[in-house]
Formats: sequence, C-alpha cells, structure tokens
Amino acid sequence: MADGLFDQFRNWYEKRHDYARDWKARTGGQVVATMCTYTAEELLIAAGMLPVRVLGAHEPQNVTEPHIFGMFCPFCRDSLAQGLLGRFDYCEGVTLTQSCIQYRQTFSSWRSNVPSVQWDYYVPMPNDVQSPHARKAHHAELQSFRTFLQALTGKELTDAMLREALALVDENRRLLRELFEYRKVANPQVTGVEALYASITAQFVDKREHNEQLKKVLAALPTRQLNRPEGVRFMTIGSENDDLAFMHMVESVGSTIVIDDQCSGTRYFWNQSKPEDDVIKAIADRYCDRPACPTKDYPNHTRFDHVLGLAKEFNARAAIFLQQKFCDPHEGDYPDLKQHLESNGIPTLFLEFDITNPIGPFRIRIEAFLETMSDEELF
Amino acid sequence: MITAGIDMGSRTVKVVLLEELKVDGAPQLKYGIKKVHIMMPGELDQDQAADKAYDDALAAAGLKREDVKAVFATGAGRKQVGFATEGITEMTAGARGAVYMYPQARTVVDVGAEEGRGMKTDAEGRAIDFAGNEKCAAGAGSFAEAMSRALQMTLKEFGEASLKSDKTIPMNAQCTVFAESEVVSLIHASTPKNDIAKAVLDAVASRVCAMVRRVGIEGEVVLIGGMVHNAGFVQALKISMGVDTISLPDMPEYISALGCALIAAERQNS
Repeated sequence: MADGLFDQFRNWYEKRHDYARDWKARTGGQVVATMCTYTAEELLIAAGMLPVRVLGAHEPQNVTEPHIFGMFCPFCRDSLAQGLLGRFDYCEGVTLTQSCIQYRQTFSSWRSNVPSVQWDYYVPMPNDVQSPHARKAHHAELQSFRTFLQALTGKELTDAMLREALALVDENRRLLRELFEYRKVANPQVTGVEALYASITAQFVDKREHNEQLKKVLAALPTRQLNRPEGVRFMTIGSENDDLAFMHMVESVGSTIVIDDQCSGTRYFWNQSKPEDDVIKAIADRYCDRPACPTKDYPNHTRFDHVLGLAKEFNARAAIFLQQKFCDPHEGDYPDLKQHLESNGIPTLFLEFDITNPIGPFRIRIEAFLETMSDEELF
Repeated sequence: MITAGIDMGSRTVKVVLLEELKVDGAPQLKYGIKKVHIMMPGELDQDQAADKAYDDALAAAGLKREDVKAVFATGAGRKQVGFATEGITEMTAGARGAVYMYPQARTVVDVGAEEGRGMKTDAEGRAIDFAGNEKCAAGAGSFAEAMSRALQMTLKEFGEASLKSDKTIPMNAQCTVFAESEVVSLIHASTPKNDIAKAVLDAVASRVCAMVRRVGIEGEVVLIGGMVHNAGFVQALKISMGVDTISLPDMPEYISALGCALIAAERQNS
C-alpha cells in the first residue's frame, strides 16, 4: 500500500471504535452491535442507526470462560470478549440474526452481561432457506424487526426510508464487487490485504462514507501499478477472517489472494436485492438468496459450485481453508468441499485458526504448499 | 561437486555434506554422503549455531566453505542460516530425503522435537500433500520427552519400557501439560512405569496417525526424525496406522538435511 490508496480503509479498521464514537458524536444516532452478516442492516440504517459488526481483537483474553464454552469457536469467544471488556460500550443495542448456535450463545451472553446494552433483538431467520416457506417466514421476521425498531425509536419506518437504505446498501455491494473485479486480472491492482480492508470496513463504517471512499479508490485503480510479483493466486475459504497479520504473511511469501468465500469478504456483499413492490420482501429475499454460509446450505450444497465458480472466475490456482477451530458448520462442509475443489483441479491447504495464530508455523505450511505447486523443477 | 543441507531444527542443527560420485555403470551411486554432523546449539544464537555446525562439519570432512557448490537450509530456523543459497520447507526436504533412501516410499512421517507431520509423496520425492500438528506438542517428540522426565527415565529407557507392556491405558488429555497430570495420577495409582510409558507413546502415535490419515496412507511408509530412535513409539505407530512395516533409516534425524543437499545438487545439475 505504498501509494496510500487503501489507507483510509486501514485507518478505519485499526481505529474502528474511535470511528464509531466519532460517528455517534457527529450524528447523534444510535450505534448497534451486530453479529453475523445475515443481519438486515437496511432496517437499522433506515432507523438512523449505525450497524457495527462485532469483530475480535486477536489477543489472549480471560473473560469469556464463565459465559461460553471453551470449545466454541474462537471468533465467537473473541467477539464476546470485546463486549465483556467494554470495547463496544458505545453501542446502545445488540442484534443477532440466526446462523449458528455458537453465535447465539455469544449474543445471549452479550445481552445479559454487557452493562452498556440498552436493548437487544434476535431475528430468528430460518436456517433452511431452501424451504419454500423460508422467504415468507423471513419476510414476517423482518416486519417484526421493523415494528420493534419503530416502537424503540418512536418513529415510523416508512417504505421510502427503507428503500433509501436498501439503495445505499446495494450501492455499497455493487461498488465492492466492482473493486473485486480488479482482482481477476493477472498481476491484480488490488492485493488480498487491501480487498479485506475494504470489505471488512463496510461492516462497521457508515455506508455513505464507505461508498464515497470506494468511488475514490475505484477512480484511481485503472492506472494503478503495484509492481509486486503476483506469485501463486490463492482463494481463501472459511467463516470470518480479519487476521491481517496472516494475510500479510501469505502475500509476502510469493502469492496473491485473489478471491475469498468468507463472511468478512464476498459472502457479505456478493448479491444485491431484486426489485420488488414490497421493500421488506426485497430485503428479506436478498438475504435468502445470498451466497450461503454452511449453516444455511442444506439439503443442497449450493455453496460448493459457488466456491468453485469463484475460484475459476478469478483464476485461483489453489485454495486455503481458514478453519476457525470448533466451527462445526464449516468443518462439516470441509471434506466434501475439499474433494469438490481438488477433483476440479484446485489443490487445497487446511489451516486451523484460533484467536491468535502461529504465524511462523503457518508460514512454513504456506511455503510448503507453494513448493508442492512450484512450476520450477526442484529436482 | 559438494553440496550441503542444513536442518535447523528446534532442538538440534543437522548438517549433511553430499558428494556427487558419478560411478560409471552404477547410477544408484550418483551421490554419496561425505559427512554428517549434529550439534546442540546450547547457548548459541541460531545464526551462530548454524555457522558453528557448518564449520565443524566442513572441518571434519576436510573441506572449506569454497569447496561447497550450494547450501540449502530447512527446518524451523532455516531463515537464520544466512549463508544458505536457498531455503526449502521441511515437508519438501523430508519427502525428498526419504524417497532417496526408500524409492518405493509414498508416505513419509516426520516426528521431530517440535512437530509431527505426515507427507504424501510422488515417485520423485516431491511432497504432494502434507498435514502437521498445530499449536500443540502432543504429536511431537517433546511430548514424549516431557513424559519420560515425569517418569524419571531417559528417552531410550522410556521407549524400551513401553515394549514390555501389553496394557492399553487410554490417555484422554491431548495437551502436554494435562497429559503430565494424567501421568502423575497413574503414578499415584501405582500403575507400573512400563504401562504408563506405553500409554504415553500410544497417545503420541495416535495423534501422529490422525495427522497422517489426513493425507492418506499409501505405499511404503517411512518414519524420519528423532523419534525413530524410540522403539516403543515405532511399535505404537505401526499398530495405530495398521501397517506391518515402517521403514526406518539408519540416520533418521539427518533425512531432511539430506533432502536439502540432494535438491541443492540436483538444482546445480539441472
């Protein structure tokens, strides 16, 4: 990032709590801690709130043991720790849209034990989004959420307000996809680290400001030259990942991360809504239609072909599974997804992620993985 | 032509000096090991240890640094070998060395002090898949070492003791620290040392086997790394993997350094 093009995203990421506090002071609006990217941010934005996705801090902590099992995933534990440590004390509300049981426990512990919480709301989105009843059910749940927010704020959430919020969020999705298009080409003008800064900050920065920043970056990209070796083109697969130290390391040993299937990346923004007369239906259907998390991908595994399609579309030579330890939904998919990719010519590497990761041993694994694919004859 | 391979492990530094022989009519004698050398770094920093180990090996072989065409380094500390021409990972080096010693080998298990890993290899000795233990030491030699200390035995005695037991005592803890607590509990329960030693080595073998199964067990199995010297572990690994035979090189701790030296030589000839 020698040219500083992505510095704003990096600054937002590194000072995300400062950003949220500042936003609150500037606007007087409420800040809401959100868990899971199935949260319909449109409703919160329409209500004048700032949705801020809870991320971990990637540092050892000792506060979650009374609340959540040690064998629940490190992301859930790290997320809950941030609440218990008071790092989201600027958030009046907390909300979860159902995905996995581990996140549910994080949410339950958060709303019960984080003193700054003034209100909470749980959206029981169906996990079986392939059921013919799912869309209707989720539509009803989002209507209930709308009713709750209206009662909370004392203001009507009109269709016009919701349409404006939906347009704003859809624009953010469109701009992020436009940014990711630059990763398709040989020697991409955007690194994996930079792309992650852009996509992860969209999950807690005001979309208006984020969109403006994306437009500035997109205007500069066509003439950008990174002058770095591309190396092997990698895809990353997994749940949440914002371990920037790991991403930097991977891209420093002869590779470029060109695409992902993660909720910190493409799964968050890949699809936009479709036009509907009923705005709540447009919002609800969008979340039912988005690239699926493994918790919402049965009985058919729709994500397998989606992941393979992304790998091919972005010309990824190989894929790295970033498996959050004890994340059962992703680990359950792993054997079949690995086979699906490898039988289609995409070799894979499995790495188990924890709250903190051993960068040295991981570097050796990445380098060994690169050696197994080396075009150069080692011997 | 002389090439060198240096394996900067977490506990020891291994050096192999390889000589190109080119014996007419004997293609299998293309290379010969001129000298091997191993040392404990002791108080030395890693870069100093690499220098000393290399210089000692050269002196023992009657060589000077300028006699060596290329030096390849591997191991957890390979970046500290400042004079190395190139660095390669333990997976690539171990697989190459093992297949050089055992051309039919397609599964290579490497258990050193810090790490255990399994590699699947092709006929050329190229690692085509691998799996290793993550943060924990329960699948590595240091685990067995810690447990032997708890029993006040040397590693050699520990391995031999386990062979005298026919009991199967499951160890539930997968963490070295908790496993030590289990060992202490077994001692308090007056469990014979032989049975405890077998329980520990069964547990290590089981962990290693689980890693190897991730890449699949195919063809001849070769075990490399310092744990080859532990007969009890070898026996436990055989049972755990369900194989009749595991090939054991004479100098198991040098195989990765040998792989390095081989790749260095072959790269010079390519």
